Amino acid sequence: MSDRRPAQSKYTIDRGIPGAFEGETVTRRRLMVFAANATAGVAIGGVALAATGFAVGQPFVEVDTGWHDVGPLDEIPDDTYVPRVITLDPKTGQVGKSTAYLRKRNGTVDKEPADKWNQVIAISSRCMHMGCPARYVQAAKNFVCPCHGGVYDFRGEVAAGPPVRPLDRFYTRVVDGRVQVGKRFSVNSQIERFSPRPPGQPLDGIGQYLFPSRPTQRKIPGT
Amino acid sequence: MAKLKLLPSLPVGLRAPTRPGDPVEKKGPIGHAQDAGIHAVDWVDERTSLSGTMRWVMFRPIPKGTNWFYTLGTATMVAFINQVITGIVLGMYYEPSATRAYESMKYINNEVFLGEFVHGMHRWGSTVMVVLIFLHMARTFFFGAYKYPRELNWVIGVVLLVLTMLMSVTGYLLPFDQRAYWASVVAMNIAGNAPIVGPFTPDIALGGPDVTTLTLSRFYLIHMMIIPGALIGLIGAHLYLVIKLGTTAPPWVRADKVSAGLKEHQE
Amino acid sequence: MNQREKEEYLREYAVLKAQGKPFFPYIIVKDGVMMIVVIGTIMLLSLLLGGELTAKADATTTTYAPRPEWYYFWAFELLRVVKPPYLVGLATVGIPTISILLLILLPFYDRNPERHPLRRPIATTTGIFLIGAMFFLSYLGAEAGAPSRIELGPPPAIQEADQATQTKWDLGRKLVAQSSCGGCHKIGENGNDGPGPPLTEIGDRLKEGAIRETLINPTAPMPSFADLGADQIDKMAFFLSSLKSGGEDEGASATGAEGGGAESEGGSAPSKAP
Repeated sequence: MSDRRPAQSKYTIDRGIPGAFEGETVTRRRLMVFAANATAGVAIGGVALAATGFAVGQPFVEVDTGWHDVGPLDEIPDDTYVPRVITLDPKTGQVGKSTAYLRKRNGTVDKEPADKWNQVIAISSRCMHMGCPARYVQAAKNFVCPCHGGVYDFRGEVAAGPPVRPLDRFYTRVVDGRVQVGKRFSVNSQIERFSPRPPGQPLDGIGQYLFPSRPTQRKIPGT
Repeated sequence: MAKLKLLPSLPVGLRAPTRPGDPVEKKGPIGHAQDAGIHAVDWVDERTSLSGTMRWVMFRPIPKGTNWFYTLGTATMVAFINQVITGIVLGMYYEPSATRAYESMKYINNEVFLGEFVHGMHRWGSTVMVVLIFLHMARTFFFGAYKYPRELNWVIGVVLLVLTMLMSVTGYLLPFDQRAYWASVVAMNIAGNAPIVGPFTPDIALGGPDVTTLTLSRFYLIHMMIIPGALIGLIGAHLYLVIKLGTTAPPWVRADKVSAGLKEHQE
Repeated sequence: MNQREKEEYLREYAVLKAQGKPFFPYIIVKDGVMMIVVIGTIMLLSLLLGGELTAKADATTTTYAPRPEWYYFWAFELLRVVKPPYLVGLATVGIPTISILLLILLPFYDRNPERHPLRRPIATTTGIFLIGAMFFLSYLGAEAGAPSRIELGPPPAIQEADQATQTKWDLGRKLVAQSSCGGCHKIGENGNDGPGPPLTEIGDRLKEGAIRETLINPTAPMPSFADLGADQIDKMAFFLSSLKSGGEDEGASATGAEGGGAESEGGSAPSKAP
């Protein structure tokens, strides 16, 4: 189509448009079309941006889960796990809680370096395949998920089935002989700490880059 | 092809309204009541011209050989209408809050008149709707009804299927019992498995990293406003295309030899 | 479909339409009947099955076995059968996304003008195969029991035995279920198929003593259950050794053969000779 039209100068003054200024390239018609589109765009965009921000932004506001007392250190064994329920969000009843399996760090099985956050090992009960509630079974010393066949060994590492990484853990600290459970973190197959991720997201290899963590949920720096 | 396409004519059972100048006939009270109805319809029609559309919809010719398989689309829509009606009345008693949702469902089941019946109709209506959608889709597939000129209607149909599956995902959480909760946890982790964007989709859907009150109100809203709105709009488009393009005949039905009269009419 | 085929179809369709009937009232009657059938079915299902609720949502549970709504059983089973962790993404987003895309684009890659299902063998076969696959996966998903439970009934030999034996068998069944054997072994419809061998018919292959020995001194990666104590291992071994092939059917015929088939292992093979 454009081929058929004779070549035009880009300056309005060359095209003989009345009232054109020297060096002007935008015709009044184009200016009005642009202005009409721009006003509509600003009006709709303002509402859309505000609504989207309102709907999408809140999940990225940081939630501080704090430290939760789970009883004296003496009650925590080192050859088996005891379940403890921690309340992450007191306003939502039973779904604002989480189950952690606790045991003392045991040098004969735990190979990752000891520091002040892992005197007590706290393992999350969420299966790292699709988030079903896994259960610790003392008879076989493993964690079994009831959904898709995930089985974890005593340290929470994948023993069988489709889970993509070991069970998540919680930071723990001991204050005045009492154990406190803090933030959740994820681990790769070497039990290195990573910022927490939802289940189903691998952390080995390029997994940690394919599945970035939430900007508001981070592991404790330097751990 | 500048021939004017005539609408199908009114069937003899329906009377045209009397107009000024028509011969006046003696009428009893029933006749006057009939006239009142006709005039009311006529008043609306004069301002909307709906009667042409109605004639186009109701008296369109359906190809010969149409059988019971062709009622599956209507059946799906009936199941959807059932979901809309029962869903609206369930919403009158339901509270989308993590601490109250389960109790309000218990209340509906145990205290409200016909409560468990209507709850059951909504729950099993979803099952029936999914079954009917799949049957309707299988019929369309095996009859080759997605082919020219109905490709766009197939695409709309698949989008309707996806939206229906999303309806069942979001609706499943609402009773907030164990089954609902863990199914939603798994569903969201499945959605979170897509690389790069994955970690953010469940956050936005759940309103945070976990299934909480925020999730419940979000799912409630998605379940009763956003997706139903999209569904109703797309069902409208789907039906419009069905009426515009016409329903297919079963692929094994062939047209009879075109009679001389019909041929003349066509030319 | 080229222009000629399109026009041919439209011409044929116009004739079919001219030979058909108007929607109202001929077709709408069928639709009306179908409406009544659908609403009737929904009401009947609601009356029969109601809207029962399970326990209130609880994020702290460690005993609940989540299961999806039945029309997602195929997806559930897909997640179960895709075992290697690096393929999990395929089962969760890969296959569903590809399926939806293939479904949406169907009219654009299926350019065959033919509409009769028997004259489109590839499309029809693929359709039937996919429906069959969905049914098969859904069936497997529906059957899959939780690994922390065993839903097998006692075999005939145990049913006929005295009360003490039955109690011992049942205690063994519960112990096996609670000891996470189902995590690695399939027992009946419960448990995961692998990495361990299925135990549904383990009694055919191992005697009670051998099972007891395996529970105490297993080959890696199976963990040792020695900590449970001799008494409990005894019950588990007794239960596992009772799991034999045949099940109820063979048991019923075995009653005629002096109950020998269920008791001694070699008994069934020679009895076929006469």
